[in-house]
Amino acid sequence: MKRPGPLLTLLAGLVLGLFLLTLNVTSGTRNASSSYQEPAPSPTPTAGAASPAPSPSPSPSPTAAPPEDAEYAGRTDDDSAAIAVTVRDGKAIAYFCDGRTKESWLKGDVEDDGTLRLTGKHGAKLDGTIEADRRISGTVDVAGGHHAFTADRAKKPSGLYRATATVRSATIDAGWIVLRDGTQVGVLTRDGEPSPAPRIDPETGAVTIDGRQLTARPATP
Amino acid sequence: MTVDPNAATQGFPSPGPARPHPARYLVPALVGAAVAVGLGAYGRIHDPAGTSFNLAGFSSTGAVKSWLATAALFFALVQVASALMLYGKLPGPRWSEALHRWSGRAAFLLAVPVAVHCLYALGYQTYETRVFWHSLLGCFFFGAFSAKMLLLRSERLPGWLLPLVGGLVFTVLTIIWLTSALWFFRTFGVTT
Repeated sequence: MKRPGPLLTLLAGLVLGLFLLTLNVTSGTRNASSSYQEPAPSPTPTAGAASPAPSPSPSPSPTAAPPEDAEYAGRTDDDSAAIAVTVRDGKAIAYFCDGRTKESWLKGDVEDDGTLRLTGKHGAKLDGTIEADRRISGTVDVAGGHHAFTADRAKKPSGLYRATATVRSATIDAGWIVLRDGTQVGVLTRDGEPSPAPRIDPETGAVTIDGRQLTARPATP
Repeated sequence: MTVDPNAATQGFPSPGPARPHPARYLVPALVGAAVAVGLGAYGRIHDPAGTSFNLAGFSSTGAVKSWLATAALFFALVQVASALMLYGKLPGPRWSEALHRWSGRAAFLLAVPVAVHCLYALGYQTYETRVFWHSLLGCFFFGAFSAKMLLLRSERLPGWLLPLVGGLVFTVLTIIWLTSALWFFRTFGVTT
């Protein structure tokens, strides 16, 4: 038992691993504990327009902070479909889903003032605004329908989940929106054919599709 | 009753040249197994966070991990070459011993952040053949590596043991890379 080198190597790896894990855990809660107030969309007496007017100068005011990383989930105003948005690092992914046949994944950037302009396949489009990091309201155009929606900030386990896999040579792409009351709205696409998705276990993301155990993961941009 | 004087006697353990205490192998093997099982259990039990921190300059954590893993694999290749030098199978410089030590450390320390991300954000998964083998061998790798590090601390090991364990660690790392980084580059393109 003479050589300390290998032991030091192992210890260094352990310390590095624990350090990164701590970094992960703390950075995950940083946003939640931040008491920082978002100044932009709060109704000020001078703001006449309903939507925050894009200022002519492209540089944002020094106090404006970009929208926090967060999940939002809600329904369209006509209650025909659910919609969920996940914001990460100035990018957003959204899922529109009626739970039967209509669905669309949309992606795009989030402006520092909280404006979202997301696009998806077949001309799908979502325009919305993040209001004080609490909710998103806007409109979504999918498959010829035009819907207004409001999505409130979601807390785990509610949010947006996705699972992709190949089961018996069929390409599976499934998405779920878990709403605050625990309702799930999901569509499963098998080789491009949409159908209602089976329920997932919102705690673990476990779901059985065509006899195969899959894990739905929180969707991120 | 007579005793056959020619009957085979029970073999005494020969007190001659040191037969190492089994703890020499058992402790590294048990520690390695504990590490592998512990990592797998953590990945299986805890709720995958789905996200993790990202490094500046990379488009996604997948890209970061793929490049870190590729760098680790590069150092692992240096490991094989320098090990061949140490065993005299290849002509090597005087500093091939240091090269072997430090390339190994580099490979290991590059692999740690990747593993932390895997276990924290994705967890131990079995829903696909690729994913299953990656999860299994990913946990196994850190166990085998720990075992090898602990074996190094023992003197007078059988000559074949370290090359065997080292080769195992290298093979496993290669399969892990093939089932993750190569898959990532082929699916999403060689992006940063």
